[in-house]
Amino acid sequence: MTEENEFKKIEKEIVIERLRQTPPTFKISLGSEEGKFLSRDDLIKEVKSESRIGEEIINIQLGYLRAFKKGLFS
Amino acid sequence: MKCILFSRPKHDDTMEYLYHYSKELIKLSESIGITTINLEKEAANKKFVVERIISQNPDLIIFNGHGSSRTISGHKDEILFSCDDKNLDILKGKIIYSLTCSSASKLGIESVNRGALVFIGYKYDFAVGRDPDSEASPRRDKIAKFFFEPSNILSSFLIHGKTAKIAVNKAKEKMMENISYLSMTRDFPDAIHYAPYLYGNYAGLIIRGHEEASI
Repeated sequence: MTEENEFKKIEKEIVIERLRQTPPTFKISLGSEEGKFLSRDDLIKEVKSESRIGEEIINIQLGYLRAFKKGLFS
Repeated sequence: MKCILFSRPKHDDTMEYLYHYSKELIKLSESIGITTINLEKEAANKKFVVERIISQNPDLIIFNGHGSSRTISGHKDEILFSCDDKNLDILKGKIIYSLTCSSASKLGIESVNRGALVFIGYKYDFAVGRDPDSEASPRRDKIAKFFFEPSNILSSFLIHGKTAKIAVNKAKEKMMENISYLSMTRDFPDAIHYAPYLYGNYAGLIIRGHEEASI
């Protein structure tokens, strides 16, 4: 596994762990088919399967963490 | 007289929310004497949208709907405009706000290349959080309002004749305020889990074309 792939794998694991901490009642609409709201388990499935929405979830979560670290939300 | 066209499908759960939150924009537009074309539910179809753009030449078009990097859709996901559309030229000189997923990514660029004055939209998916206690009723939803308030501020500023740049800056200010609240509040424990998705909307909201354009 290349260093880049290893890094992506770690990012994916971080996001899945964050999603596991989300309450089971959580619902979000995010470009899903038929305008359905996705549950926590749906989001985890999307990330695990590396779907287009899964990639978007990873980018959203990591983007938020980076912004949080920079102190943008105070 | 100024003219605004709204496309407002209502055929699935997410569209119900967009439909609900755009009601107040219709009222606002009408209340200040703007000619308001409200293409809602089944009327948010390609034939009607194209006909009304050609016949009434609206200054501002506000699309609510699903979308992709290359498309904007209407009722039952009929594609209203796409990058490959010969009709894209009818957007020439128009101010466009596309409350859809990802359409600012490629369709926004192509629209401006084909003559649209400005295209405001999202280069990533537009996220909407839902309050589990709301029973999917937009009216009762305490979470969704954090996602739609900034978008409605953007539309309101455009309707009032402010520039695209001012409208987007005001929307981003509200987004940041709401993200900070969701990230820090202890008013309800689930709030922080919605914050990243609103941040995704913040990061994705962009202007293609003439930032100083206004109606």
